Amino acid sequence: MLAPLPASQWNKTTAAHLLSRAAFGATPAEIDAAEKKGLSATVAELVDFKPDAANVPAPDWAHPRNIREIRMGIKAEKERGGNFKEKRREFRMMEGEEILSLRQWWLDRMLNGPAPLLEKMTLFWHGHFATSVQKVRDAYWMWLQNDTLRRNALGSFSALAKKISRDPAMMIYLDLQQSRKEHPNENWARELMELFTVGIGNYSEQDIREAARAFTGYRLDLTDQQFRYAPFQQDAGPKNFMGRTGAIKGDDVLEALVGKPACAQFIGRKLWRYFVEDEPSPQTVDRVAERIRAHKFEMRPLLREIFSSAEFYSDRAMATQIKSPVQYIVQTCKLLGTPLPPAVVSQNAMRQMGQVLFAPPNVKGWDGGKTWISTSTLYFRYNFANYLINGDAMLPGNPQTRGQGGDVGFRKAARVAEKTPRDPIDVSKLVPVELRTKPRELVDVLSQRLFQNPPSGKEIDAFTQYLEARKSDDADGAVRGLIHLMMSTPQFQLA
Amino acid sequence: MLGAAATWTVPVFLEKTFFALNAMGADAATQIVTGKDGTILVVLQMAGGNDGLNMVVPYGDDAYHVARPRLALPADQILKVNDYVGLNPKLGGLKSLYDEGHLAIVQGVGYPNPNRSHFRSTEIWQTASDADRSLSEGWLGRYFDNCCSGADPTVGVAIGEETPQAFAAKRPTGVTFSRPEQFRFRSSEPGNGQMSAEEMFFRQLNESGATDESRAPAATDGASIGAIPGKTKSDLSTLDFLERTALDAQLSSDKILAIARKSKSTVTYPQGPLAASLNVIARMIAGGLPTRVYYASQGGFDTHAGQLNTHPRLMGYFNDALAAFVADLKQQGNFDRVLLLTFSEFGRRVQENANGGTDHGAAAPMFVLGGAVKPGLFGKYPSLTDLDRGDLKFNTDFRTVYGTVLERWLKAPSQIVLGRKFAELAIV
Repeated sequence: MLAPLPASQWNKTTAAHLLSRAAFGATPAEIDAAEKKGLSATVAELVDFKPDAANVPAPDWAHPRNIREIRMGIKAEKERGGNFKEKRREFRMMEGEEILSLRQWWLDRMLNGPAPLLEKMTLFWHGHFATSVQKVRDAYWMWLQNDTLRRNALGSFSALAKKISRDPAMMIYLDLQQSRKEHPNENWARELMELFTVGIGNYSEQDIREAARAFTGYRLDLTDQQFRYAPFQQDAGPKNFMGRTGAIKGDDVLEALVGKPACAQFIGRKLWRYFVEDEPSPQTVDRVAERIRAHKFEMRPLLREIFSSAEFYSDRAMATQIKSPVQYIVQTCKLLGTPLPPAVVSQNAMRQMGQVLFAPPNVKGWDGGKTWISTSTLYFRYNFANYLINGDAMLPGNPQTRGQGGDVGFRKAARVAEKTPRDPIDVSKLVPVELRTKPRELVDVLSQRLFQNPPSGKEIDAFTQYLEARKSDDADGAVRGLIHLMMSTPQFQLA
Repeated sequence: MLGAAATWTVPVFLEKTFFALNAMGADAATQIVTGKDGTILVVLQMAGGNDGLNMVVPYGDDAYHVARPRLALPADQILKVNDYVGLNPKLGGLKSLYDEGHLAIVQGVGYPNPNRSHFRSTEIWQTASDADRSLSEGWLGRYFDNCCSGADPTVGVAIGEETPQAFAAKRPTGVTFSRPEQFRFRSSEPGNGQMSAEEMFFRQLNESGATDESRAPAATDGASIGAIPGKTKSDLSTLDFLERTALDAQLSSDKILAIARKSKSTVTYPQGPLAASLNVIARMIAGGLPTRVYYASQGGFDTHAGQLNTHPRLMGYFNDALAAFVADLKQQGNFDRVLLLTFSEFGRRVQENANGGTDHGAAAPMFVLGGAVKPGLFGKYPSLTDLDRGDLKFNTDFRTVYGTVLERWLKAPSQIVLGRKFAELAIV
């Protein structure tokens, strides 16, 4: 067992840490409530959510279609010399609209859903079993994968891995559905070992070839977009995979991989990086791997143990994690008490910050940590904060700001804003009116809301002097300016 | 609009900034030459593993046509360099450059014990490490560290959102941006032509952050979160790293924005991200940014299936974007000062697969182009029949190309950057 956190160390700071890592952050009121409830009740609330929380109704467009027929229709139109390009464009447009809506649907679940840890783990698995719509090109399949990840997010890793090997989006992404007995395709087999289970250095090129043969016979039915097993396409011949011999099939390969000590290490290290610290020591990884095996790869008890452990709240963990772009968007909206931006704005923001849901850059997923930050993404975060605080007036591409350098990526967003205007945040919800004339206290109240770590003396001085410099200006505007200044700091990027 | 505190801040801020910049200038003893008037290197990554065999095509080899019944490009369409090898039919612009004497083609480039993982092999190319060693700093980062110490953050510019691993360095790492017009801090107060209080304090915070010793302790047990025992000095804490990046952004964005405003291209570029990146680079060069190394990338080369459609499209776009960039540089009169280098993490397998694609391979060609480049074919085309597990065997280590560029183009000691001395090629 990982050593538990002593009850005496449960306080506002540790409660805020838990809610920012195991969920998407919390308001001061939520942190107070968690502190009162105690550590084990708060962890239980996160981990033991209602069983039907994963039973999420699909967006109304998310149902299987007869893609085969649609494709044939376009092809027939082309052969007839008809206007197939228009048809194809319509089909692609629909895909684009659907994936846009799917991204917003998921962000909304993260911000407003009943089980934030469930969404956080689903996001972990999305980054782990990374699959991009850019190759899959179908929003239903992306939704279906998301649903599979959510339903298995806190269950057993080997059960999830088996489901993912039959997941249509993954099968397309790694060419598994094209793999035939006569010509096994190695793409899935290689990434399964390198990125999904044991990691590089723990398999041979021979293992890849044999696993590719074992995973033949997996097919997709395009008339209903579902997985089919085609026994006549399965290579039934003898194989030699990691010491196992015989007529090995895909599930046998998965079982062999999950049984390797390297798999618990690999998954353990990734989970620890996601929830606890960027660079775990080899000893830490060993310890987590041992706990993964002790829990038989079941995620729920493992996470309960991690969130209750002293290590989770150690110095190496607290306020050292750079928020992912998705965390940044969701947590900021939560802290400011403001709704999500319109879908096109969130989507563009995710792109500019380097994490677009359903479109990881490659099969390795997002590296995370320091790679979230470059001069480009950091300035974008600062400017996006300005928009979240002040609304449409700060939207890059808005006619008012266009002279300062219009951003083509936001043009469409600016048009959407005409239909769904976004006002500046209501600062009276964040700061009691009586503090308006007390700059230092006002800075303290906002610091507690926005930062995991208290700001330094110099920072507090700068924030206070800023308020004094704007004494004669519009009071709400000055507070919003202060919030923007506070969010435009390295500290605000940390969870 | 500006209150008393802000007016008090202005001179302090300006004084500090100029002091910092002067200190940096005085320190830049290692390399005084800058990209303002010296030589410039542009690195272009072709991400995903470009099929070198269908880029520089051994059309005169029967083995090529045998191995690729569906994917082999017909000999009559090849832009012939000699009776064995030629360029992909979509590379008309590059063929013209070759004929003009501005393109060097290095054949059979790779490294010993090739790795077929995208990520590991990319890392090897980016850090210039041996296949069995892992380095955290990039080869260009080591050039910044060892040959440009004290230089300002724009020593390297990567176009995009993410900093390439090739730039990873102790200090500085270069800057990254995608649109120069957007690369600035946007204040929420109306500016009316002068700096707002918000921006003033923002700048002040950035400067003091990087040197702040008085940070409040973490609430748990009093230790500073910056001080993690057992870390080397170069291994920055997350907070230090963020503060450094914020300062780099601030020190470079004014300059970049000013250049972007005054310097526009008259050459028409094709649509798409690579052309947009090259366009920005051309404008920065024209505007005299002191950057010596630029980095851009094109993705989509992982053609496991349906390569017959995708690869020609990728090649065509690559060609058109480069042709526009070259035309732009020629018009500026800067073509002789710029050298562009292409690389991909690996080539692809000689034998096509059953899905009309190709799987991860090994050795592949590199292009080196520029006004001062010595043209021709370098290295030997690897045999298409004497293979290593189905892949071409390399005969030119990619670090000989890096080393040549460092020594002959950037005039930097390659041994310090690459860890040892590699043979040089007569490409410049």
